[in-house]
Amino acid sequence: MATDDGMTAPRAVSGQAPDVFRRGAWVPMRQYPDSEEVDFVIVGTGAGGGTLACKLAEHGFSVVAMDAGPYWRPLEDFASDEAEQQKLYWRDERIVDGDNPIDMGGNNSGKSVGGSTVHFAMVSLRFRPEWFKARTKLGYAVDWPIDWREMWHYYTEVEQALAISGPVSYPWGPHRPRYPRRPHPMSAAGEFLASSAEKMGIGWSSTPIATLSAPRGLAPPCVYRGFCVIGCSTNAKQSVLNTWLPRALDANAEIRDLAMVSRIEMGSRGLATGVHYYRDGRWRFQKAKNVVVAGYAVETPRLLLNSACAQFPDGLANSSGLVGKNLMPQSNHGVYGLVDQEIRWYKAPPSLSITEHWNYTDTGKDFFGGYAYMSQGPLPTAWAGSLTSSRGLWGEKLVREMEKYNHQVGLKIVGEVLPQEKNQVTLTDEKDAYGIPIPRITFSYGENDKRLYEHAVRFMSQQMEVGGARDLFVESDTAHLGGTAKMGDDPRTSVVNADCRSWDIPNLWVCDGSVFPTVGGVNPSLTIQAIACRTGDRIAEMARRGELTRRTTPA
Amino acid sequence: MPPDFWRRLTGTRTREPSRALTLTAPDRESIDLASYLPARLRKLDTLPERAAPLDAQTRVEVARGMNRGAGVLAGSVLFDSAIEHYRGGFHNPAMFFPLVSSTLSIIASASGVGDNTPSVRRERHVAYAAAAATGFAGLAFHAYNVGKRTGGFSWTNVFYGAPLGAPAALVLSGLLGVAAERVRDAAPGQRPRLYGMPESRAIAAVTSAGLAGTAAEAALLHFRGAFQDPFMYLPVTIPPVTAAMMAAVAVDGRPRKRPVTRFLLRLTAFLGFAGTGFHIIGVHRNMGGWKNWTQNIQNGPPIPAPPSFTGLALAGLSVLKMLERSRRE
Ligand SMILES: Cc1cc2nc3c(=O)[nH]c(=O)nc-3n(C[C@H](O)[C@H](O)[C@H](O)COP(=O)(O)OP(=O)(O)OC[C@H]3O[C@@H](n4cnc5c(N)ncnc54)[C@H](O)[C@@H]3O)c2cc1C
Ligand code: SF4
Repeated sequence: MATDDGMTAPRAVSGQAPDVFRRGAWVPMRQYPDSEEVDFVIVGTGAGGGTLACKLAEHGFSVVAMDAGPYWRPLEDFASDEAEQQKLYWRDERIVDGDNPIDMGGNNSGKSVGGSTVHFAMVSLRFRPEWFKARTKLGYAVDWPIDWREMWHYYTEVEQALAISGPVSYPWGPHRPRYPRRPHPMSAAGEFLASSAEKMGIGWSSTPIATLSAPRGLAPPCVYRGFCVIGCSTNAKQSVLNTWLPRALDANAEIRDLAMVSRIEMGSRGLATGVHYYRDGRWRFQKAKNVVVAGYAVETPRLLLNSACAQFPDGLANSSGLVGKNLMPQSNHGVYGLVDQEIRWYKAPPSLSITEHWNYTDTGKDFFGGYAYMSQGPLPTAWAGSLTSSRGLWGEKLVREMEKYNHQVGLKIVGEVLPQEKNQVTLTDEKDAYGIPIPRITFSYGENDKRLYEHAVRFMSQQMEVGGARDLFVESDTAHLGGTAKMGDDPRTSVVNADCRSWDIPNLWVCDGSVFPTVGGVNPSLTIQAIACRTGDRIAEMARRGELTRRTTPA
Repeated sequence: MPPDFWRRLTGTRTREPSRALTLTAPDRESIDLASYLPARLRKLDTLPERAAPLDAQTRVEVARGMNRGAGVLAGSVLFDSAIEHYRGGFHNPAMFFPLVSSTLSIIASASGVGDNTPSVRRERHVAYAAAAATGFAGLAFHAYNVGKRTGGFSWTNVFYGAPLGAPAALVLSGLLGVAAERVRDAAPGQRPRLYGMPESRAIAAVTSAGLAGTAAEAALLHFRGAFQDPFMYLPVTIPPVTAAMMAAVAVDGRPRKRPVTRFLLRLTAFLGFAGTGFHIIGVHRNMGGWKNWTQNIQNGPPIPAPPSFTGLALAGLSVLKMLERSRRE
C-alpha cells in the first residue's frame, strides 16, 4: 500500500475526507463529478477560499473547493521539527526582484488545505475603522468600497467562528463584542513588551489570538509549546482547516486536495465555464456556474493572467490593467536584544502581547499609515536564520550567539505599506512542473514605507532599551501580502467590486488577500475571513434576487 | 500578641447570653434607614426568643458535622495547593505552609469526627486556629503576588495569578473548626457566643460568606474558561442562592425547620462532588487526556477545588441541625 502521507496521493476521495480531529479517521464528504456544473468552484481553501466555501455551502450552493496542498490531520501529520514542517509552505519556484525582493515561501505563503492559516501565527486583529476610508479620512492611498460598520459585524462572525481568545476589553478602536474566549496567560516574551510599554507610557494588550484558551468540541486548549508557525499538532489553533472546513463538509461541500488549478476556461458568452486542474496524475476539467479565485496575492493574479484567451488577451478580469499590480507586503521589521532574566521565548504562541499605539495615534508621525508590534518567539532554526541573514554570523560565532537563545527578546512590527502599481506580480516565460508560467514578484519600498519602518525601528529600539535589553540589532523583513486584485467602486481603477465580483466577468470572483486596496497595520487574516463571510452572504442575497446570472454594471 | 489573642480568635465563652431580647426591628419610631440598620445589626447580636439550649449529645453531633465540613475544606486545600504549588516549583518555602497547615486541619477534623465526647481538645483548637492564620497570610501573599504583576489587578492577572479562593478555603476550614470546638465545649444550658454573635448565627454567617466567596471564585475561573460547557453555570447559580439562604439564617436565627435551605445545602454538597467529576472530564479534554495526566492535572480544571462547596454545605447543615434541635416543642 502506498504511504498515506497526504502528499503522495489525494486523501479526500471515495466519498470521505480526513477527520482533522481524530487520528486515521474519516468524515463523509459529498462528491461531485467533473461533468456536473456545480454552483461554485473555488480555487484555494485558505482564509478567503475556505471561509467562503463554508458560507456558500451553508447557504445551500453546491461547492467544490480545490487546493494544491495536502489535507492534513494535525494530530498525526505535524512533527515538532522545523525542517519537516517546511511541507506546509508554498515552495514552488518564484522569481523575486525589485529593490527589496520579498522573501517568499514560509514567510508568507502556505500550500495546504486550510491555506496559510495552517501555519499562521493566529494574531486576529480588526482594521482601524478609518482605514476603510484611508483617502477621505486620513489623506492617503485609497478608500475601500465597504463601510467599517458592516465589517464590524462580519469581524464578530469570524471571531465567534474561530473562538478567538482575547482581552476582556480591547483598548483601541470602537466597541466590539466580548471575545468568545478569555486571554491566555502572558508569556515572558509577552510580559517584556507589556512592562516596557508601560515604561514608555503607551498602551498594550493581550493579543486577540486564534488559539483556544478553553476546550472546544474535540479541540483541546493551547499547550503553549510554541510550534504555531510550523503547524499546531494539537488542534488548539483555530485554522480554516479545523473550523470552516468541517462546517463546509457538513454542508455538503467537496474539498479536493492536491488539486492544482492551471487555468480558468472562458465560454462563448463571456462567462467562465470551469477550471482546468491537475490531480492524481492527470489533467481534468471541473464545470462550474461560478469560479472563485482564492489563491492569495501571488497565485491569484498568476491564475488570472495565465487564463488569458482570445477574448481576454491580457488575462481575466483585467480591463483595468490592475491584475497583479499594487502588490503590498507588510513591513515586518524587528528589533532584538538580550536581557538578564530567562525568557524562553519559544514558549507559547509568539505574539501574546501587542501594542496598536501607532495604529491609533496620528500625531508624532512623519508618515502615513500605521503599525502594530508584537512580542516575538522564533523557533531555534528560524532564529539561527535571522542571526545569519541579519548579522552574518556563522560557525563558532553563531553557536555562541545561539547559546543566548533563552535570554533573547524582540519586538516586530506589522507595518502598512502603501500601494504602488510598479510593485507587481507578472508571468515569466519559465514554466513550473505543471507547465504553468512561473510568477515574477517585483517589490520596492516607497519613501513613505521607509519612513514608517524607520520610525518603528527607532521607537522599538528605545522601548527595548528602557525595558532593559542590550546588544540590540534590527532585522528587516516583510510579511503578509495583498493588493493584486483590488476591490473598488470603479471598474477602471479596481479588479473586483465590494462583493468580490469581477467587473469584467460576472461569474468570476476573487476572494482572498489580493482584494485589499490598502493593508493597514494589522495582520490580514481576520479581515480576509470577514470579507469572505460578507461575500458569502452577498452572493446568497444576489441569488435570491436573481442577480447572479445577470451581468454586473458599474455603479 | 495580646494575652487574650487565642481566646479572642476562638470566641469568648464566658460572656452571658445577651439580654436585648426585646429589640424587634424595625422599631416603630425608627423608620429612617440610619437608625434602622443599627437596629438590625444589634438584632444580629442577640439570640431569638424561644431558643432552647442544646443538650450535650446534640452539641457533639453538631460539632462533628462541622469537623467534617472543616476537614473536607482542608482536604480540598491540601490537594489543590499541593498541585498548584508543585506547579509553581515551591519557589518560595512559604509555599509549603498551606500543605502542612491543611494536613493538621485534616488530622484535627478526623480527630473531631471520631470524638464522641463533649470535651474540647486544645490541639484541635490550635491546629484550626493555625489554619485560619495561615489562610489569612496566604490571602495577603496571593493578593500581593497578583498586584505586583504588570497590569496590577487586571483580568489576566486575576485569572492566572495566585488565586484568592484557595487560601480563603483554608481560612474557612480554620474558622469552622474553631467554631466546632466552641460548639462542642459549651457548658450545659449555656448559649455560647462566637465571633461576637450567637453561635448558630455566627456559623451561618461564615458559611454564607464562604459559599458566596467560593461561588465568586468559581465565577471568575469559569468566566476564564468562557463557560464553554453549560454545566459550568451550576456552581455560579445554586451556591449563591444557598449562600443567600444561609445569610437569611444568620439574620433571622430563629429555631425552626428550614426544608428549602436544607435541600439547597444538600444540593450544594452534592454539587461539590459532582464538580470534581466534571473537572476529571475537563482534564481529559486537554491535549493527551488522562494519558498525559502529569501535565493535565496541572493544566486542567482543578480537581480538588469543587469539594470546598461540600465542606461549607456540611457546616451549613450542622447549623440547621442546631437550630432545629433548639426548638421548644
Ligand atoms: C508564517 C506566517 C504567519 C502568519 N501569521 C499571521 C497572523 O498571525 N495573523 C494573520 O492575520 N495573518 C497571518 N499570516 C497571514 C495569513 O496566513 C494570510 O494572510 C492568509 O492566510 C491569506 O489568506 P488567503 O485566503 O488569501 O490565502 P491562503 O490562506 O494562503 O490560501 C491560499 C490557498 O490557495 C491554494 N492555491 C493557490 N493557488 C492555487 C492553485 N492554482 N490551485 C489550487 N490551489 C491553489 C494554496 O495552496 C493555499 O492553500 C501569516 C502568514 C505566514 C506565512
Ligand atoms: S502553542 Fe498552542 S497554538 Fe501554538 S502550536 Fe502549541 S498548542 Fe498550538
